Amino acid sequence: MSLWLTQIGAVIRLELKKTFFARRGLWIYLLALAPVALFTVQAIVERDFKVFQPDSPTGHPISQQQMEGIADDMTRDQLIALLGQPASSHTKTIKTFDDDGKPIVIQQEDLRYYGPRNSIILELQNGVLKGRIYRGRFTFEQNSYIFAGVFQFLFIRLLVFFGCLGIFMNLFRGEMLDKSLHYYLLSPLRREVLLAGKFIAGLIAASVIFTTSTALQLFATLSVFDPNTMSRFFNQEHGYSQIAAYLGVTILACVGYGSVFLAAGLLFRNPIIPAAAVLIWEWANPLLPALLKKFSVIYYLKSLCPVQIPTPPGMPALFKLLVTNGDPISAYLAVLGLLALAVVVLWASSLKVRRLEINYTTE
Amino acid sequence: MSDQIIFENVSKFYGDVLGVNRVNLSIPPGITSLVGPNGSGKTTLMNLLTGLIRPSRGTVTTLGLTADQPEKLFKLVGYCSQFDSFPKGLTGYEFVNSYLRLSGRDAAECDELAWQAIDRVGLRDAAMRKAAGYSKGMRQRMRLAQSIAHNPRVLILDEPLNGLDPLVRSETIALCRSFSKEGCHVILSSHVLHEVDIISDQVILMNGGYVVAEGNIKGVRSEIREQPMQIVIRCDKPNTLASRFFEEDHIVEVRMHHDKKGLLIKTSDPDRFFTLMNHVALNGHKLESVAPIDDDVNSVYEYLIGGEDESKS
Repeated sequence: MSLWLTQIGAVIRLELKKTFFARRGLWIYLLALAPVALFTVQAIVERDFKVFQPDSPTGHPISQQQMEGIADDMTRDQLIALLGQPASSHTKTIKTFDDDGKPIVIQQEDLRYYGPRNSIILELQNGVLKGRIYRGRFTFEQNSYIFAGVFQFLFIRLLVFFGCLGIFMNLFRGEMLDKSLHYYLLSPLRREVLLAGKFIAGLIAASVIFTTSTALQLFATLSVFDPNTMSRFFNQEHGYSQIAAYLGVTILACVGYGSVFLAAGLLFRNPIIPAAAVLIWEWANPLLPALLKKFSVIYYLKSLCPVQIPTPPGMPALFKLLVTNGDPISAYLAVLGLLALAVVVLWASSLKVRRLEINYTTE
Repeated sequence: MSDQIIFENVSKFYGDVLGVNRVNLSIPPGITSLVGPNGSGKTTLMNLLTGLIRPSRGTVTTLGLTADQPEKLFKLVGYCSQFDSFPKGLTGYEFVNSYLRLSGRDAAECDELAWQAIDRVGLRDAAMRKAAGYSKGMRQRMRLAQSIAHNPRVLILDEPLNGLDPLVRSETIALCRSFSKEGCHVILSSHVLHEVDIISDQVILMNGGYVVAEGNIKGVRSEIREQPMQIVIRCDKPNTLASRFFEEDHIVEVRMHHDKKGLLIKTSDPDRFFTLMNHVALNGHKLESVAPIDDDVNSVYEYLIGGEDESKS
């Protein structure tokens, strides 16, 4: 056992250098940086957003509760009673025609209020509320939903997916293309040990790259909130466990997709075919029968994501199907299930690698 | 543990293309050369031996081990293949050292063995440079260092003399001999037939995926009955001797040497010829020398493989 560990260590030392510093792997860093850039830009925009400033001394900031109390078709008096005097108002007369073609006159008034993070324009027609325009920063809750959506649908399902494709498919296939795989195959080590070493090396590289990305994304997202909000998040809303869950899901995604693409690298010459097949399989997961769902990585990851994305009324059915976790499982089962799936795939790969032949001329 | 390398009814097909077919060999220790034209199956045989490819049929065992036990096999086997590529970014030293580390040895031992091997191929000064920047000859020598670093009992060298200058060629030949003297197997393929002739204890001639002949080169030559053996005799009375030879039915041709001091004989039965020569000597003929001139690899190659001599140099 200790010999195997020493040999795995030797494989990892050789592989890490290649995986981290390979020129052909540069695009993987770009994939990992893309959502960091997205959240950084959002943070900059949020920070620079200028909350509407009152131009009237009578204006005062309204609370979130007051804002949530606004309802359609409220009259001007009801609104003033709820919110107080507006920070500013603007009135205009609009001449138009009714449905029968008769000329009518509408008195339109815009009442402007502002809160600590946003402002609202209430559009009244003939003294009755007909429209609302919100302008401002996202709330913490909104932000966490945005992060959860980007994390699950962009980061895990696409960026980590393709990143793992690039890293793990190259572990054997890349060496076949470079005509250097015989170096390992002529060494006194079991092929299974070689497979384990290469997998762990790929996992270390993928995990470092993508968990760093997750951490930077979280930092960018959280950096726009004031210390009180952050304190509440960490102390009352299980902030630490949420962050740990996001980082853990990232690592587990690397484990799952890594094992799948390592196997694909041993079976296929062209990465496009397995990539397309696995991608379709993963996205079609909600449509699969219950048993088949278990043979997909995203099935387990969905149950581990700490924030479930809300499904507001009116959301298209297909989106709803993708967003909703139809049959959630416990975190404990999800982790075990994903690891079991990876072990099964790696075991199948080990059967293949034992009979692996060098045939550089056909590559 | 067996001390033989055994190919038992081994065939290898690449789809419909024949690699080697029905190979049965038992290779003892010593220097064994694989000889044959391009595409004859020499490299396929070496790759089968090391498990880089698997036989479609039959079994290969090396000192009792198969390629299914690489952790044991490659403690005994070193293979300097023709694949001229190195893992990216490694220096020559790292190339040899990392190979040793993969076997699970400790760092200090690997370091010592790596430098010993690098010294044997004379590349100490260049060892810390990136292998990608080496010349073809240097790469060849560094691959040789990697294959001998763990002191294998079976050394397999695919075209080891390619790209080497004359001095390094002779050093490599000396290296093969020293391994052979230690009782190891050295299996090499080469296009340079006169070098094969000098260093080999035995040859395996291959053509079109088949083993055409194997064994000690003189033994192989004597088996080629359809080609009369050519022998040059230097003596004091060639005319008398020539007339004596014409009486023998196994002598198919006698030619006088242009200096009139020797004969070129072609005989279909070398055994009877040498018995005859004993009688001739006892009858008072003064024989300066009796030497076969076509029992070398070159001639054997010519007789068995004939016109397909593109690989000869």
